[in-house]
Amino acid sequence: MAQAGKGKLNFRCPSCFMRDLDIDMFYDADKKEYYCLRCCYTGSEADVQAKNQMARFRYRAMLKRFECFDRK
Amino acid sequence: MKERFILNVIHRPEMVPEYAEKVTGHGKEENISRKALLTESLDIFKTQQAIAHKNGIKTTIQMTYASLFNDEAVALTKEHHAQYGDEIALSLLGLPCKEFRDKYKTKDFCIWMFSMEDKKAIVTDVFEKFHEKFGFYPESTGSYYLDADLINFIKETYPMVKCAVATCWEEGPKAYHTCNNSWYTLFDGGPWNPWIPSKQNTHAPAANAAEDSGIVAIPHLSRDLLACFDGNGSNFGTHPQNVLRGMIYKPGSFDEQGNYSGQEYPYLYNLIDQYRSLGKYNDGYSYNMMFVGPGWMNKMGRWEAPYELLLQSYEDGMAYYAQLKREGKLEDMTMAEFADFYRAGHTYTQPECALWRDILYGSDKQYFWYADPYMRCCLDMNQGGAMIDLRPYAAKLYWPVGIGTPHVQDASYPFLIQANYRAGYFTHYAGEGTIRSCKLTHKGEEVDLCLCRTWAHFEKQGSARVLTLDPVEIKFADLTVKVVTTFTFEEGSSAVKTTRRIVESSDPTAKVELNEYITACYGTTEYPEDMTGITLALQGAGESRCIAYEYRCREDQMAGEAAVAVVPLVETKVTMQAAEELQVYYKEGYAFSPMFTLGLKKEIGQDEEVTTWLKLEKAN
Repeated sequence: MAQAGKGKLNFRCPSCFMRDLDIDMFYDADKKEYYCLRCCYTGSEADVQAKNQMARFRYRAMLKRFECFDRK
Repeated sequence: MKERFILNVIHRPEMVPEYAEKVTGHGKEENISRKALLTESLDIFKTQQAIAHKNGIKTTIQMTYASLFNDEAVALTKEHHAQYGDEIALSLLGLPCKEFRDKYKTKDFCIWMFSMEDKKAIVTDVFEKFHEKFGFYPESTGSYYLDADLINFIKETYPMVKCAVATCWEEGPKAYHTCNNSWYTLFDGGPWNPWIPSKQNTHAPAANAAEDSGIVAIPHLSRDLLACFDGNGSNFGTHPQNVLRGMIYKPGSFDEQGNYSGQEYPYLYNLIDQYRSLGKYNDGYSYNMMFVGPGWMNKMGRWEAPYELLLQSYEDGMAYYAQLKREGKLEDMTMAEFADFYRAGHTYTQPECALWRDILYGSDKQYFWYADPYMRCCLDMNQGGAMIDLRPYAAKLYWPVGIGTPHVQDASYPFLIQANYRAGYFTHYAGEGTIRSCKLTHKGEEVDLCLCRTWAHFEKQGSARVLTLDPVEIKFADLTVKVVTTFTFEEGSSAVKTTRRIVESSDPTAKVELNEYITACYGTTEYPEDMTGITLALQGAGESRCIAYEYRCREDQMAGEAAVAVVPLVETKVTMQAAEELQVYYKEGYAFSPMFTLGLKKEIGQDEEVTTWLKLEKAN
């Protein structure tokens, strides 16, 4: 089994991102998966992209444009 | 009131961008003089400059030490100064290059962390190299942080320097943790908008000409004043790629020709617009700063974002600034121009105020930030106006930073209250957390205003800034009262005046006890410090009583006018004071609750009020 490398982008671990940790994952070419050095997450690029959507659940106003800032 | 929204855009030709060697060089032996790295770095700088200029925005070019060895970078900078009016300035970021490492025999690159001897040598080296290339000394400089000793040396040696990037707002333990405990930018506790640093401590604004360091400091980026208090600062700022890093955008997609489109990031525009809105709290003046290092726009892409999106986000961000400029809502200035503008329009004691709402999470949460030469504090309207952050600038704490000092990396200004690092209202199982709030008691029931969500309104009254909160309702078993809170910040007073008034009561004859309190400690991180040495005292007309902190959970109260704590390690005296005699008390705390509490109690009924002051002084 050869050493892992970086993927085409520096994909972060989506599980760690959810706890405010930015950790690049490494790519295991044999298993065709990204894996995290710190936690136990593994997944394909598609899975990483899908899990990243989970991080956005807290941004309920992410796509809202505000006109006024001193009123509710 | 004339509204003036000022923008500083800064670019630096960083020949070895932060991250680039680590990210794009993965799998290769370290070589910071790789030709491909140098070429790409300069190309990114050219791209950033081109984007600004096509949008009609003038920039401040902060030359790095490395770029002073690159003739093309020097020539380009001279050309842009002549053609577009860009300021030629000098950054103390971007030190790493072969020449620097050969000379200083170190991989350190953060100017504030070097020994004072090395700081002087490096500053002299860099400034003289700049003079050799341009024939003059720069008026602007900066880094992520500049400690007071360093600023004083720069100003003494190069008195023409008038402006500097001097801190990143709330970049401290939160950023450190986000970077897997490997990014040592520990400098919480400074102002979020430009200020005049004191000679004693960069974070603490000067109170008068004698304390004036001689420069105007600007923050690195304009950051979200709510999201950054409880999150990684590098996700929430006027830095388009920071917003991408936070995943606060709707991704676009590539078409068959490879063009990227469809991306949306309204949060970035909301952030800029909320900063513009701060003019109404600061006599019409508001400010923004954008400073994207080239490493954020490298061809390899970054944080799941392809290069095309990194580039487009910078284009879009600059285009929004340009739109505001066309509409007459924005003025772009160089750093040196801004320093002159700022000094012409500001007095030393003039505070910076920001009533800031949540623009990201979909809540109605609202903070009020206040900074002047005596304190920085934050009130949380989601907790009844409780104070959740307090930095005693009145102490003007001398806090040397770098190798050979007690603080090699930790440049934060210490807090007395930081409700996230040292709990706040909510603690697990036992003990108390740092907060300044008020409890109401009636027939054995107790309610803390921390549990009353409200909203604030700002008004300037003469030399005072006044914050009035919407009434909150307190329900006891047999009594309901409505309380209005008013905070008054009298300019130059080093105090916060708090008035609580019962405006309605279900029983106009009933009384409730108001307990105004501050629970505090000191520190710069989440972890407790030794409280030994702190003294707690009660003061009355004819008596005062005092103890030294010994973690013995002692409490005392008496009729009096003030409860006082002296915290020697941050050279601060904290006083909770009333205008009349009432019950004053302290609580010592214990090992599992390494805090102290000072408080004042009084019974009041309908249409009655209690006024108290939280006062900060330097204690030698």
